[in-house]
Amino acid sequence: MVYASLLANRYLASRVIPLIAVLAVALNVALVVIVVSVMTGFLDMLRSSGRTLMGDVVVTHEIVGIPDYERFLEILDETPGVHAASPLIETFGLVRMPYGRDGESRVEPVQVWAVDPRSLAEVTGFAEAVYWRAPTDDERAELDERDPRLDETFHKLDDALAINDPDVEPGMVLGIEISPFNSRTRRGTYRPTPSEAWMPLHDVTLSLVPVSSGGRIAEPREGRFRIANEFHSKVYQVDSQRVMIGLAEGQRLLRMAGGPLYDPDGERDENGRPLVIGRSPSRATTILVRGDDGLPPPELKYAVSAAYDRFLAELRDDPEAKVKPPSFVDIQTWEERLRDLIAPVEKERDLMNVLFSIIYVVSAALVLSIFWAIVHEKTRDIGILRAVGASRSGILWIFLQWGLVIGVIGACVGLGLGWLVVDNINAIHDAMGEAAPTWSVIVAGGLAAAALLATVVAAWRGSLLHGLIWSLATILLAAIAFGLSRHEGAVMWDPSVYYFDRIPSRVDLLRAGATMIGAVVFSILGAAIPAAKAADTDPVRALRYE
Amino acid sequence: MSDAPAVVATPLLEAQDVRKTYRLGAIEVPVLHGASLAVREGEWLAVMGSSGSGKSTLLHILGGLDRADRVGRNADGGEVRFRGRAIERLSNRALDRYRNREIGFVFQFYHLLPELSVVENAVLPALVGQVPLLWRSRRSEIRERAIDLLERFGLGHRLKHRPRELSGGERQRVAIARALANRPAVLLADEPTGNLDRKTGGEILDLLAEEHRRGLTIVMVTHDAGIGERADRTLWLRDGRVDGAPEI
Ligand SMILES: Nc1ncnc2c1ncn2[C@@H]1O[C@H](COP(=O)(O)OP(=O)(O)OP(=O)(O)O)[C@@H](O)[C@H]1O
Ligand SMILES: [Mg+2]
Repeated sequence: MVYASLLANRYLASRVIPLIAVLAVALNVALVVIVVSVMTGFLDMLRSSGRTLMGDVVVTHEIVGIPDYERFLEILDETPGVHAASPLIETFGLVRMPYGRDGESRVEPVQVWAVDPRSLAEVTGFAEAVYWRAPTDDERAELDERDPRLDETFHKLDDALAINDPDVEPGMVLGIEISPFNSRTRRGTYRPTPSEAWMPLHDVTLSLVPVSSGGRIAEPREGRFRIANEFHSKVYQVDSQRVMIGLAEGQRLLRMAGGPLYDPDGERDENGRPLVIGRSPSRATTILVRGDDGLPPPELKYAVSAAYDRFLAELRDDPEAKVKPPSFVDIQTWEERLRDLIAPVEKERDLMNVLFSIIYVVSAALVLSIFWAIVHEKTRDIGILRAVGASRSGILWIFLQWGLVIGVIGACVGLGLGWLVVDNINAIHDAMGEAAPTWSVIVAGGLAAAALLATVVAAWRGSLLHGLIWSLATILLAAIAFGLSRHEGAVMWDPSVYYFDRIPSRVDLLRAGATMIGAVVFSILGAAIPAAKAADTDPVRALRYE
Repeated sequence: MSDAPAVVATPLLEAQDVRKTYRLGAIEVPVLHGASLAVREGEWLAVMGSSGSGKSTLLHILGGLDRADRVGRNADGGEVRFRGRAIERLSNRALDRYRNREIGFVFQFYHLLPELSVVENAVLPALVGQVPLLWRSRRSEIRERAIDLLERFGLGHRLKHRPRELSGGERQRVAIARALANRPAVLLADEPTGNLDRKTGGEILDLLAEEHRRGLTIVMVTHDAGIGERADRTLWLRDGRVDGAPEI
C-alpha cells in the first residue's frame, strides 16, 4: 500500500506534532527506566553489601562463643562449597575518644568486632573497605598542605590488616562515620579534616565486659588501642557504629583465649591452687563463611550445618575436650541475618512494584491519550481517504507505521535520557542539595526578561496568540529564576534513613528492553486504536468532522 | 411510485426508491423517502434543492460513501445500481474499489489532504488503487496523467505547493484533477462552486463543461439555479423525493 507509506511519512515529517509524540514516549520511557534503575540498584547494593559485610553464611553463638572453633574452621576448610571462613567475636563496648568537650574525653558506645583480618578479607570486602592509604608521591603533590596524611608516620596506614599482629601495637580500625573529623565530599569520598584530631595514630581506650563460658559476667576490662585506620563499608549503620580490633586482643580482654583449665571445686595442689584438669579452649562468637561463587547461600547453609554436626560429633567423642561446643548455634544466610534491615526494604520493593505498575499504566495511558488526540485530528483526512477508495486496513496501516516509528524513536531517546540521568543521579542529587549557582539565576532572569520583551513586541504587533505564549513563558521563567534564587539546597537521600550512603542505581537491560518494547507496543496501539475507530465510523461523518 | 423519468437504454447509475433516515437519539429525521433518478452515460445531470433537502446525502449514497436505510431483510431502503448491479450488495472491498475506480467525488470544501503537495493529492486515488508490486512500473504513467490534468487546469506552476498555499478556485481544480485521476465513470460534484465567488465558480464550471465535452458523466448537486442551468438536465429534490420539473 503505497499511499499508506507516503502518508505515514508525511505525518511524521510535519514539525511539531511528531515531536510532541516522541517527547511523550521518550519522557515516559525515561521515567520508567530511572525508577526501575534506582530500584534495581538498591536491591543489588543490598545483595552485594550483605556479602561484602558478612559473607554468605554466618554461624553464631552469642556472648559465650563456640569453643575449639579452630577445629570447626578446619572441618569447614574441607567442606566442598566453602571458599573461606573467618572467626570473630562480636560484642559491644565503649570507646573513650581522644577528643571531647571541656577536657573530658568523649565516650562512644560501639559494636566491637574482634577479627582475624587476613581471613576476614577473604570472606568479606574488608580489605577494600579499609579507607586510608599512605599517599603516593603523585598524590602528595595534590593534597592540601595541611592534610595530615602528609605526615611521614602515616605510612603505617597500609598496615591496617596487621591489627592483630602481636609485634605491632594493638590496633583498632574505626567505622569512618564514628569520628567527626572526616568530611564527606559530594562524590561520596572522605577527606581528613586538617586537624590534630584526625583519628589515625591516636590512641583510644576500649572497655569490654567479659563473660565466662558458664555465662557469668566478670569485671569489665580495658585495653589501649592505636587507631590503625578507618573503614568505609558504604552501609551507614555499620560505618557509624562498628570498630574492629584483632581477634587475639578481643579474646584476651574478653577472657576467651585458650589457657589452662582449672577445676574450682576439685582438689588443690600444695600451694592451695585449683588443679589443672585440661586446657580451656579459645572461643569465637561468630564464624563468617563465604561460599564458592555461584553457590546459593541456602545450599551453603546446609553444607555448613552438616559441617557443624560433624564438628559436634567429633568433640563429643574427644576425651581431651573438656568444654563441649553448644549443641545449637544460629546458622543463617546473610539474608536471614539482615532480616531486620531487609524486611523494610522488601516492603519498599513491594511498594515500588506497585508504584512501578501505576507509573507504567499512567505512562501508557498518557501515550494513548496523546496519540488519540493526534490521530483524532486526522479524522477528516481519514474520511477523504475513504472517499477515494482507501480500505479500513489501509488506513490502519498508515497509523501502525506512524506509531511504530514514533515508538521506536521515542523509546531510544527515552532510554538515552534515562541512562544519562541514572548515570549522573548522584551528581544531580548533589547539585540539588546545594544552593543554586548565581549564574543559573542570572540566566533564568535574563531569559525571563527576553520573554517579557517578546511579549511587549507581540502585543505591539497585535498578535494575541504570541502575546499569550510569551507572557506565559515570562511568568514561568521568572518563577524559575525566583525559585532558583531562593533554593538553598535540599538533601533528599539521607544515608541514615536509606541505609546506603549513595543513591544506588543500575540500568537493568532486561527491564529497560521490556520498557522499550512496551513503549513501542503502546505507541502502535495508541495510534492504531483511534485510527481503527475513525476508519470504522462512517466516512460521511468523518468528512463532516471539522 | 417512481418519479424517475423513463429511460430507454440501461442507465449508467440509477437510484430507486432510496430512503434515508438519520437518527438523533430517539428522534428520527427522515431525509430521503423514495428518491429515484437515473443517469445516462455521458450525461451532465444537475440535482437542485434547497439547503437541507438531502442533496449531499443522495450524492453520498450514489457514490457508495453512505448507505440507504436497511429496513427489513429485503432492502426496503431502496437500491442504487451501477451498470445494472446493486452496489448495496457489494462487499466492503468491492465497495472500496467502486469508490476508487468508478466514482470521482468533488466536494464544496475541496477536502484536499493538507500534508500532501498538489501532485500528490492529484495522484492519491491512483495510489490507493495500486498494488505495491505494480507501482514501480506504473509510477511515471500515473504521475504524468496527473501532471497533464493539472497543467490543463492551469496549475502547472503549483505542482509542489501545499493546498494551504492555493486560492479556493485553485484548490477546487486540484480536487477535480484528483477526482479524475482514475478515469472514473461518474463525477459526483457536491456544490463544487458553493464556496467560490461567481467568477471563479464560473471558471470551475467551464472546466467541468470541458471534461463533459470529452465524455465525462457528471452528477452535480446545487441549490443555485444559475449553476444548474449549465447541465444537460435538471432534477429537483423536494420533500425527500426527486421531481423532474422545477417548481413555480
Ligand atoms: N449525521 C447526521 N445526523 C443527523 N442529521 C443529519 C446528518 N447528516 C445530515 N443530516 C440532516 O439531513 C438533512 C439533509 O442533509 P444534507 O447535507 O444532505 O442536505 P443538503 O441538501 O446537502 O444541504 P446543503 O445544501 O446545505 O448542503 C439535513 O437536515 C441535515 O441536518
Ligand atoms: Mg450539502
